[in-house]
Amino acid sequence: MNKIEPKNVSAQLTYRARGNPPSTLPVAAISNCFPGLEFDFRNIWRRIFVGLVMHEARPQVVEVEEEAPDEFQTLVGELLVSVDGEQLWVPVTGPEAAGGPVQSLGFSNLEWANALANILQKAGEQVQCVFFDPDSRQATEVLLQVRRVFDEEGTPVGESGVLARDLAQPGELTQSLCSPWQNDYRECACYYWAASRPDFVNSETDAGGQTAGHNWLHKDRTPDTPKFYSLRQSDMVSYEDLFRNWEQLRFVIGGKDEE
Amino acid sequence: MNDNRPQRPAFLKPGTRDPEPGTWKPLIPQPARVPQVHLFQAGGKPHLLVADGTRVFGVDREVFERLDQASSRGDRAEVKRLLQQFGLDAPPFVTDAPPESFPVRALSLAVAQKCNLGCTYCYAQEGDFGGTARNMPLEIARQSVQRLFEEAAPGERVQLAFLGGEPLVNRPVLREATHHAVALGREAGVDVGFSITTNGTLLTSEDGEFFERHGFAVTVSLDGVAEAHDRLRPFKDGRGSFEHILRRVRPLLKMQKRMQVSARVTVTPRNLLLRPALDGLIELGFHSVGFSPMLSSPSGCGQMQPEDLQAMLRQMIDCANECERRTAAGERYPFANLLTALQEIHRGTHRPYPCGAGGGYLGVSAQGDLFACHRFVDDQSGAMGNLREGLDRHSQAQWLARRHVHRQEPCRSCWARYLCGGGCHHEVIHRGRPACDYIRGWLDHCLKAYVRLLDRRPELFSSLRPSSPVFSAPSAVQSRPAP
Repeated sequence: MNKIEPKNVSAQLTYRARGNPPSTLPVAAISNCFPGLEFDFRNIWRRIFVGLVMHEARPQVVEVEEEAPDEFQTLVGELLVSVDGEQLWVPVTGPEAAGGPVQSLGFSNLEWANALANILQKAGEQVQCVFFDPDSRQATEVLLQVRRVFDEEGTPVGESGVLARDLAQPGELTQSLCSPWQNDYRECACYYWAASRPDFVNSETDAGGQTAGHNWLHKDRTPDTPKFYSLRQSDMVSYEDLFRNWEQLRFVIGGKDEE
Repeated sequence: MNDNRPQRPAFLKPGTRDPEPGTWKPLIPQPARVPQVHLFQAGGKPHLLVADGTRVFGVDREVFERLDQASSRGDRAEVKRLLQQFGLDAPPFVTDAPPESFPVRALSLAVAQKCNLGCTYCYAQEGDFGGTARNMPLEIARQSVQRLFEEAAPGERVQLAFLGGEPLVNRPVLREATHHAVALGREAGVDVGFSITTNGTLLTSEDGEFFERHGFAVTVSLDGVAEAHDRLRPFKDGRGSFEHILRRVRPLLKMQKRMQVSARVTVTPRNLLLRPALDGLIELGFHSVGFSPMLSSPSGCGQMQPEDLQAMLRQMIDCANECERRTAAGERYPFANLLTALQEIHRGTHRPYPCGAGGGYLGVSAQGDLFACHRFVDDQSGAMGNLREGLDRHSQAQWLARRHVHRQEPCRSCWARYLCGGGCHHEVIHRGRPACDYIRGWLDHCLKAYVRLLDRRPELFSSLRPSSPVFSAPSAVQSRPAP
């Protein structure tokens, strides 16, 4: 593999790093308008511990890195329950249905970025990790090294925007990417696509303070389409519509459909 | 004195110059082998400039050598294939199609087509552009300012430049036009930047206060320090002007905060010692100092010949090395030519034109006629209508089509075309392109300096913006030094 290093801004904007699909170029990606969506950020957690590959959304071991000690193989499938004393799973209690009694609802894992916020300060150090085997219900303690997230060589601490090379293998950052041609685009609810897809568009507020507008998934809408938030399946963009005609999605600017 | 036969600069040792006509060799051979790429070594490592998009890459030996071999043969098809193979191809950044029209974003007003200096090489022929010496009437200045705001939307920025001749000959109109622009800008929510290019002989402290209040970019034409300047820019009676100018500029240098006072040196065969000029002018406190070779003068006087350009290139590289050394050490050494080039290379600036002339930038003559820029005043080859009847869109469209770098030779086959843009329209139309080797040699050096500085001080480029103390350079429309 030839070594090519884009130096200036225009080179960086057009160079497609090995392993990345065309959609990761700013000119081709939805991220040309919405920076941050050029890769699935969750993938940076997969290799946060040297030797293991974790699930991008759950603290669970999915595979072992090539250079890892053989005994790490026994951890595949196990849940990571604590790191350096910080719990990654928390008990959940509450009503199962509206008005029902408060009860234990099991455990839920914390989102990686929150769960590991303190651990990132220990990049390069070893931390005590506790794994739990759901089958045997045995716990195992292992010392793991925390990887650096950013490549800070030659850059003042805290100012690098470059992800460390060993944090992801080629192509991994774009795995599970939310793209218009993938189901996630339709499934994501409020906030995730907030910049590009406010879920309530063309809204108008009348003199009495009542607001009416369109569901962002309302297809074939025009300025004349009656302003109500339709949830009828027949009104909404289907998965197939998205796969076949994603490029026909319009931008919403200032809360209104672009002309 | 007719300086078509240039004096040999004393700093050049015998043997380092003085070749027979036609046998001189470029200081750094930079032949335009293929138009797509330029290969260079910097910091001991191989690098590649892909011309389209001005993209700079560090590459390994194999990439370098294969591209080098193909470009040595002039094999454009193979270079194209290799760029694809290495993932370095991209959709074209610059197409053949000229822009259909430009909104006018900058106007220069020839408020005084007259001058009190007698510079032999002056493109304006000592101020009157070869015609009748005249001042711009206030009404023409007011109409010009109104024209500038016609196409500007709230939040946008426009530039108003005062040139001549010597613009301070017509100080009342300059001031009134400035006030009018401030008022219109406030009314329209449009930001307006001001600049003036002056010979400095008429400056007063009151001018300084006025320029400071309105944040002017003030460019003073100085061709060196002391005698070096006096040789080229005497008063019409032959007296030297340097000390006189200095007395008038010093108060402005002290008061510059919003205002930026820069020096612009026109380089002729008679002032080829650039480093003393640069150091001397920086020491005086100029915000930046830039050099431009005199490539075309109406009389032919002072025009640089190929061997002069080689001497200038050596001097520019000497200045650039000092600037690179000081910049790497965190010092401010405002050599505008290098700092501007570094900014543009870092961004990947790629232009199908050398400047905005005839596009977003127009010059207005004292009589209210519109021209491609301040240099074309009263020159029919750059005429573009007038204030009364409006911009001649047809002439502008023809200009933009004809002047596109893809239509220029030998630019079409040159790797430097998008950094250079084809050279100053005025100089090219009147003299041609005598400076291509100089420009390529200079850009080659700037590319190397960029890579070295990026490796040593990457943080300098993370803050590349006008407010950056290291990189700040004059913002006036016409004060971008030639490459």
